[in-house]
Amino acid sequence: MRRSIGRGAVAILLALALFPPAAGAVLYIDINAPGGKQLPLAVGNFVVISGGASLSQGIPKMLEKDLELTGLFDLVPRDAHLETVKSAHFAGTNLDFPAWKTVGAEAVVIGKVEGRGDQLTIEMRVYDATQGTLITGKRYSGTPRQVPQIVHKFANEIVFLFTGVHGIFGTEIAFSARDGRGKEIYLVGMDGQDLRKVTSNRSYNLFPRWSPDGRWLSFTSFRTGLPVIYLRNPETGVEKEVVRAGDTKAPGGFSPDGDWLYYSVSTGGNSDIRRVRVAGGAAENIEGGWGLEVSPAVSPDGKRLAFVSDRGGSPHVYVKDLGSDGERRVSPAGVYATSPSWSPAGNRIAYTARAGGRFVIYTVAPDGSDLRLVAALPDGDCEDPSFSPDGRQLVYTVRKRGYSVLKIISLDGRRERTLVSGLGDVGSPAWSPMR
Amino acid sequence: MVPDALTAIHTGPPATSGKVRSFMCSSSWKYAALAFLVVAMIATGCSKKQTVKSDAGAGAAAPPAGEAAVKEAPVKEAPAQPVMTAKQAEAAQGVAVTEEKASPFADVRFDFDKSDLRDEAKKTCQEVAAYMKKNAGKKLLVEGHCDERGTAEYNMALGDRRATSVKNYLVSLGVPTTAISTVSFGKERPLDPGNTEDAWAKNRRAHFVLK
Repeated sequence: MRRSIGRGAVAILLALALFPPAAGAVLYIDINAPGGKQLPLAVGNFVVISGGASLSQGIPKMLEKDLELTGLFDLVPRDAHLETVKSAHFAGTNLDFPAWKTVGAEAVVIGKVEGRGDQLTIEMRVYDATQGTLITGKRYSGTPRQVPQIVHKFANEIVFLFTGVHGIFGTEIAFSARDGRGKEIYLVGMDGQDLRKVTSNRSYNLFPRWSPDGRWLSFTSFRTGLPVIYLRNPETGVEKEVVRAGDTKAPGGFSPDGDWLYYSVSTGGNSDIRRVRVAGGAAENIEGGWGLEVSPAVSPDGKRLAFVSDRGGSPHVYVKDLGSDGERRVSPAGVYATSPSWSPAGNRIAYTARAGGRFVIYTVAPDGSDLRLVAALPDGDCEDPSFSPDGRQLVYTVRKRGYSVLKIISLDGRRERTLVSGLGDVGSPAWSPMR
Repeated sequence: MVPDALTAIHTGPPATSGKVRSFMCSSSWKYAALAFLVVAMIATGCSKKQTVKSDAGAGAAAPPAGEAAVKEAPVKEAPAQPVMTAKQAEAAQGVAVTEEKASPFADVRFDFDKSDLRDEAKKTCQEVAAYMKKNAGKKLLVEGHCDERGTAEYNMALGDRRATSVKNYLVSLGVPTTAISTVSFGKERPLDPGNTEDAWAKNRRAHFVLK
């Protein structure tokens, strides 16, 4: 297990090359085009003036790994490159753009590293190889430990530059997994790196949920013997108790302003939905009745609440208007449906459904229309979907006989990868907001 | 969020076409001023957040001469309640909820997604009730458990309903309600770790613990 790299306490000195954004408009990737075309891009060697020769190939490898994950770029293999990037290319000498065009690159990324003591300065530039123009350039400063974060930030720049959509590198997924007999909360980077434990108390720590600013995790812990909802900052370790009253309880989600925590709580065997101010105060009832109501999720605009109720005989996903109290069932009749997750745009809800003895993942419009199957396996269960902050992917749990993994799948179901394997009984993944 | 742009400067003369370079010369100060403003706005918008430390201290790359440098001011969040660090909190723990405690009574079993008592479950409860009435002063914990299928939150609530269903029946048989407490462990503590119908049937249960 790697040490936390202190994400929250990082400040990266960043230099903006002051070019109008319109300069990047020549090359553009339409991420909504079906079977979208990939942009041919080359990441050249990085020029290391000082600070560690291994970064010359190490940074390009990290950057390529990020860009590869998007599925948006067709990366030119490095052994095909015809030009070696030199420090002169950062001091007025033009790249040999025809040579980059020859190997198929339409965009070229180059970089330069300079170290002074414990500080590295990394400059990165993106060129349009056809026009021979600099599209963007940034300079970052940080410790050697922060290099992965710097690379993620620049990868996000590149994605935004070519798509107009913010990249999600540097975001994390919180989840629970077996550790000994208990369960602990873990964090992992969206690239599968930097896996680490948030809790370590050998009881059950479950249902992690992010605050909208991405600083706090809410979760249920049994470490006192009975379930209590806590709020913890995983970077600083600062923690506070939020809900102790009642029996079984689980955080569902926050209001978009982060002021309220919506949660489910059982009293007398009946689970209802309440909310409480994160800052403290009395709980308010939101949804009740004789059924089991769990998994409240507030829509990104704060106006609607998705939740699960078994009032109709089996669990279903409902959407309630928080203003008018009007509500409707959005999962189709007859199946078992749980664990709703809103897309960041608020136009889709992903949930788990039981169909033919297997659990599968659907998305649906909040009015119950346009149902689409996203993930299903003939010999396993797909559960607990959580939207990525760019709304293009879902993280979810796959359980097959005897093992479980976390996977990430694109909304169209075309691209899929394993995020975490080798831990027992993984569950309840929650994707952090943008970093 | 932590603003990541602490300093906005331009990267110096870019190695690129004359067209872009001339743009840089004529407009860089205007853009530098704009960037300064944006960064300042982001920084002041963070006044509710916690102290933000900078790793980019005095030793960081100095901006080229003549560039405006923006320092981010540390801001503090006043905690709403007394807080302790996770380490302190966890050091204070030591309750083993993850261990199955032996019971003189058989487990009560349930159907998938159900909490109503089957006939053999009622028989077990009648034995438990008889014992509790004979041994006034004993306390009983009824744990609700579920099989591994389905969402953890829903199962946690279902386990609670199962434990309560048992408790209510015991109370109807004359056991004082104050002698019985309930807790749900959802699907977190399966009796049988297998994933067969047989294992699942064993795991959908209420477990009795005498205290």
